[in-house]
Amino acid sequence: MNQAAEKPNATEPPASARFIENLKAFPNRLADTMFRTGRPQSDRTRATFVFGNVFLHLHSVRTHQWSLRWSTTWGLGIATASCFFILLLTGVLLMFYYKPYPEVAYLSIKDIHFVVPTGRFMRNIHRWSGNMMVVLVLLHMARAFYTAAYRAPREFNWLIGMALLVMTLGLSFTGYLLPWDQLAYWAITIGANIAQSPREVTDALGITEWFDVGGLQKLILLGSEDVGEEALIRFYLLHVMILPLAVVLLMAVHFWRIRKDGGMTRPADAEKRLGSRVDGVYPVFTAAPEKTYSLAAIVKGRTAAVGEGPEWTLPSMPHLMFAEAAVFMLTIALSVILALFLDAPLKEVANPAVPENPAKAPWYFLGLQELVAHSAFMGGIGIPSIVLIGLALIPYLDRETEGTGNWFGGPGGGPLVFRSVIVGLAAVVALEALVIRFGWLRQWWPATPQLVVTLLNPGTLLTVLYAWYSLWCLRRFDSTRAGALALFTCFVCGFIVLTVIGTYFRGPNWDFYWSPSQWPGH
Amino acid sequence: MTIEAKPTNGARSRLDPEAMPRRDFLGLTAWWSAAAALLFGFLGSMRLPKAAVLPSPSKKFKITLPASLASGQAYVPAGRSAAIYKEGMQVYAVSTICTHLGCIVKATDSGFDCPCHGSKFAKDGAVLKGPAPKGLPWIEVKHLGGDNFLIDEGKSVAAGTTVTV
Amino acid sequence: MLCDTSRKMKANKHLLLWSSLAALGVLIWAAVDENFYRDWRVIQRQVRARLLPSQADAFAIRLRQIVSRDTGATDRCVSCHVGMAPGESGIEGDRLYGRHPDVVHDPASFGCTVCHGGQGRATSTADAHGKVPHWPEPMVPKEYSLAGCGSCHTHLSVPNLAELQKGKLNFEQADCLACHRMDGRGGTMRPGGAGGQEGPDLSRVGATGFKQDWYEHHWAQKKKAATGPWVSAFGDLPPAQRGAIDEYLRSRVGAPGLVEGKALFHMPELTAVGNKDPGQVSFAQVPGERSVANWLKQHFRAPASVVHRSGMPELGLTERQIDQLTFYLLSLRRRTSGETLWPKDRIRAERFGAREFATDGATLYGTFCAACHGQKGEGMRYPGLPEFPAIANADFLRLVSNDFLREQIKQGRPGRRMPAWGASEGGLSGEEIGRLVTYVRGLGAVPFEGDSQPRRWAKGDLAQGEKLYTEVCASCHGDRGEGKVAPALNNRVFLNLATDTYLYKTIQNGRSGTSMAGFGAGSSVRRTLTDAETASVVAFIRTWEGKK
Repeated sequence: MNQAAEKPNATEPPASARFIENLKAFPNRLADTMFRTGRPQSDRTRATFVFGNVFLHLHSVRTHQWSLRWSTTWGLGIATASCFFILLLTGVLLMFYYKPYPEVAYLSIKDIHFVVPTGRFMRNIHRWSGNMMVVLVLLHMARAFYTAAYRAPREFNWLIGMALLVMTLGLSFTGYLLPWDQLAYWAITIGANIAQSPREVTDALGITEWFDVGGLQKLILLGSEDVGEEALIRFYLLHVMILPLAVVLLMAVHFWRIRKDGGMTRPADAEKRLGSRVDGVYPVFTAAPEKTYSLAAIVKGRTAAVGEGPEWTLPSMPHLMFAEAAVFMLTIALSVILALFLDAPLKEVANPAVPENPAKAPWYFLGLQELVAHSAFMGGIGIPSIVLIGLALIPYLDRETEGTGNWFGGPGGGPLVFRSVIVGLAAVVALEALVIRFGWLRQWWPATPQLVVTLLNPGTLLTVLYAWYSLWCLRRFDSTRAGALALFTCFVCGFIVLTVIGTYFRGPNWDFYWSPSQWPGH
Repeated sequence: MTIEAKPTNGARSRLDPEAMPRRDFLGLTAWWSAAAALLFGFLGSMRLPKAAVLPSPSKKFKITLPASLASGQAYVPAGRSAAIYKEGMQVYAVSTICTHLGCIVKATDSGFDCPCHGSKFAKDGAVLKGPAPKGLPWIEVKHLGGDNFLIDEGKSVAAGTTVTV
Repeated sequence: MLCDTSRKMKANKHLLLWSSLAALGVLIWAAVDENFYRDWRVIQRQVRARLLPSQADAFAIRLRQIVSRDTGATDRCVSCHVGMAPGESGIEGDRLYGRHPDVVHDPASFGCTVCHGGQGRATSTADAHGKVPHWPEPMVPKEYSLAGCGSCHTHLSVPNLAELQKGKLNFEQADCLACHRMDGRGGTMRPGGAGGQEGPDLSRVGATGFKQDWYEHHWAQKKKAATGPWVSAFGDLPPAQRGAIDEYLRSRVGAPGLVEGKALFHMPELTAVGNKDPGQVSFAQVPGERSVANWLKQHFRAPASVVHRSGMPELGLTERQIDQLTFYLLSLRRRTSGETLWPKDRIRAERFGAREFATDGATLYGTFCAACHGQKGEGMRYPGLPEFPAIANADFLRLVSNDFLREQIKQGRPGRRMPAWGASEGGLSGEEIGRLVTYVRGLGAVPFEGDSQPRRWAKGDLAQGEKLYTEVCASCHGDRGEGKVAPALNNRVFLNLATDTYLYKTIQNGRSGTSMAGFGAGSSVRRTLTDAETASVVAFIRTWEGKK
């Protein structure tokens, strides 16, 4: 123990003065401690800023120039995430006034619309960015598929993306019930009965008594036999708590994996196609590092960046930041513009005694509803499951490398996609025309057993047609990628056409009409 | 193996903290307009939690004073927070909501006791003891004829205002 | 390459800039719109500009509302109609922005929509007035605004329309309007001297109550006075007239027109209007344009023009009657509210089963029977349905006792269209059925001719009876008497109530004016039955009794 060391330095001012001094210095010190490495004003401090900041460190410090091209991603992922961010914010605000109880819920929406300050605008934003998110997440998936971004080492991220897609639809669907109007009530009633539709199969097999998975699904979803207060509180819980938490978690993993899987997919010849390298920046590495510097146990083997030089990269700050901020603000601008001009719909209060006619599900499920009109199980569960499983398997079944990172890359390429669009559209339009004009099994042979009706949905036939066509392409080009391109394109066409028919050409009793003006008057 | 390259002429090393070129007008305007839009939107949305209208239902109610009510004895209608006194021909009502922290005070023979923090009030509402900052307010009474009165809990009147039967 | 990179950067910067500016612009637009151009803000600014300076200072531009837990109202109508908000006076004398006219129920505690309809929670004009899609209850039209009373006064007591009109006539003939006001008329004289009403306004006297001995009271006043209207205007009234005036006064509840409309609804002249439970009239399902009143009027004029394949006949009503009925139908807008708020009429009707309309035979017949049996008991024929029997038919009434009619009304015809009016809850009481029987008897003006025979006397050859039945009767009454175009004979209640004499004579003489011909009299074109054959047929019909 040294007595002298404990004594305050004689030259130092007394503690009281230092206290005042510290108080004065507080604002500057606060800023200094906030930006630990100083203000991000040089490339170096910017780099430390990016990896030292909890929100920014999901980005790599430097971004490849290829990733910054608009046509690489069209900003769809960031736009989707932006929508989610807007939805979180407006959703939390709406929760100040929303009361999840039948009838009361409807009235609270009326209050939000009419008297809550900014309430109507917030609800409109929530509604439109919700719809935008569904569209964007689908487009984002299509982008990932068409640039073959699902390929190794990004297979698992594709799966996470699929989970996010399902959850986005779930979020939108659960949110649909909350206003408790006629639209909500009957859309959810239909949805819940689709969940119950495996009973069609178990009934036909006579095993419902022992194995009623359909009934169980509906019971768990609704907490009751009908859409009522139990269902409302469940949907509310899913909508504001369970699904958003799950989405946040998966989004974090999704973003993290982008970085850990080596950033955006780019073609092998990306650097050649970019032309000359960036001038004026002194390259740190003349040769690519060969040693793995993987730190995260999550990634096996070498990091994806190994073997690639940094010359083609630019500092993420400000280049990537500008791009991301631009997409973010564009998304906000679009949603507020929609919100200003279009009010979110609110129909009459839910009336369990008077069904809407036609009762339509949310628009992204109208393609399914078109199939469900023939048999609930195959249209509502069977075919969607086949499609989801098929999508999930794509990265594991297509192990080729040709065309990675290129739009419509791979054997066949653009022309193949174009031909698939023709085939896909032709098949679905012809089938729908047949069904609308001549009916389906029941109209032809009324005695058709239920199991056949259930399984032999027009959608089943369509799926088989598409699968057959894509197999043909696969063999013709001798490429799994060609098969995948054909199949995916066909399904996109089928989805779009069925959705459009369900949205615009189906009227009361799910009859076909060229326009709503032809619907029979009451 | 990492190989350090030699600096070439005219190039600067990223390892040296160099001064950044001054950010251009466009970039700055872009950032600031984004910040302005976000701030404006945020401030606007922060108006949401403050309700524009309060669901304040009418607090008027009718009572019939029991004939047996003794002079100076409080009559507290069930479910209401008002004590009505009849002293001779004079009728008045005192709120039973404690002015301290809003508990419902209990009418006693000598006045009112608050169960929460021990405030005591006289029959005319004046503070006798405890943390209450001011006396219990008197509230409006209207005579409807006979023993019927209309009380409006929402309207306070000056202490000492009575209605003559 | 630098230039390529910076070009990309520049594009991003531009995107960021213009997106941000667009978002900012829209946000500012939204803020301005919400804070300056909402309907209610514009209206309140206009109102403030018209107020006196002293009032204008105290007038705050803000949302106002009336909340009532009892009626379930959250009505923001007063955000525009500011003068009607609690504690506001608005523009003196202005119909829209001044005070609410004095009414029985204080709008500040009852709310607006409970009477006027519309969307209380809305704060924009079109939404609030309910003239928007997806709001099922538009405002009650101005000219029918008293129909709003029907939301709570679901069981407004009304007398027989004829009585009501008699009462009104007496009231006017006795010159009561000289001193009293009634529904906005009269009250020009003042007993004490020159002009101006001394007698109380009687427009709501049915609700507030009046002295039962008003007549004696008036006499006492007359005796006291030496000159003026007491001497000149008041005179003797016979008891019958006083009774009619009493009836009329009891119906004055501040809703003229509504009472008349409802009384008309229950009159026999209105044949085909069903007795609908007010709670079942849903405006949500009313098609066509959203002016319900216009729709209803058209519906009364020509039902088929607004309801596809309506079975309702054109009633040939006068425009005034159509107006009154529309009024009444608009009042059928029952709301659920706490029982503590129920008016007395409703409690009497719903808790004690009292009828809210007059219970004389004519009104009962008009309400319950006329739709099927015709306003004069002449029977009805609707396309596609079997005929409804003519119960005032002389040939029928001659053969049936009052007991038959009473039991018939009470038990109905099980399995047929005639319900059992006595059995079911809310049906007719024994006393009411008695009045109905008297009324029906009066319609035909034919007494029961009497029957000295026992109830069951017919004997005959059953085989022959069956053969004859199949030959003669089955084509109309059905092979097993199950009824086709003609009534069912194989009916438990019918077989029980009908005596053999009734059956025998009906077969022999037929029923004039209906498809049932007499089979006893000689006819050149039709099979006739001898007395013995008729008895056989009766005996055969009897074999169904007790069988299913």
